[in-house]
Amino acid sequence: MEVVTDRFGELEVTDDQVLSFPEGVPGFNDAHEFFLVPVPDSDGAFWWLQSIDHPHLAFLTAVPWGFFEDYEPELSETDQDALGLDDPDDALVLTVLTVHRDDRKVTANLLGPVVINQATRTGRQVVLMDQDLPVQAPLPAPEDGAGEDAPNDAGDDPAE
Amino acid sequence: MLVLTRRENQSIMIGDSIVVTVLEIRGDQVRLGIRAPRDVPVHREEIYAELQRENRAAAASVSEDVGFLPKPKAAAERRPRPQPE
Repeated sequence: MEVVTDRFGELEVTDDQVLSFPEGVPGFNDAHEFFLVPVPDSDGAFWWLQSIDHPHLAFLTAVPWGFFEDYEPELSETDQDALGLDDPDDALVLTVLTVHRDDRKVTANLLGPVVINQATRTGRQVVLMDQDLPVQAPLPAPEDGAGEDAPNDAGDDPAE
Repeated sequence: MLVLTRRENQSIMIGDSIVVTVLEIRGDQVRLGIRAPRDVPVHREEIYAELQRENRAAAASVSEDVGFLPKPKAAAERRPRPQPE
């Protein structure tokens, strides 16, 4: 099918690329269908989650382990059931990025990752309770090649 | 706001398909059980509000220009399967 998008113009999307989000996502409850567009030259690190229902709506997302190596999202049973996740390997986890225009910092929402069941092509934005995760975890600036200053925001620190 | 008073094990129905049950009252905390259809999100209010705000900010904050994105430290493992051609 042809999908009209604001950022990429018209794209050809096959049925098995369509991701179904029955609940939409918080703030956009009527956005029920999305598909993934890779960010060019990012080697699978970054993906656009583009809405099919709304041409202007797209989230920039990152595979979290490229920046937060110890990130261990623990899905609740409710979330696992809702996604029909029988096999954890079917789960694709993407964190939504926010670009802060004033200082050009990019932050990732580690508290509410988007989880996609690749076998059933369904997704939802889950909330990771009790892991003390931030909604805005800074990604290292591009100059910090080694990323030494990047905080480890994974959930293995004791909750305060 | 509709105000109802319930005891433990009493419930509230919202529409035809949402049931909220008071499971336990202990001190200043109430344990609630919620039954709702799969397409109805149920969240702690302050968390949901935070996610709404962040999603809206995220969606408004990005354009096609992604040249400023940092390179990942580690190889991006657990990446999505390649898209079908």
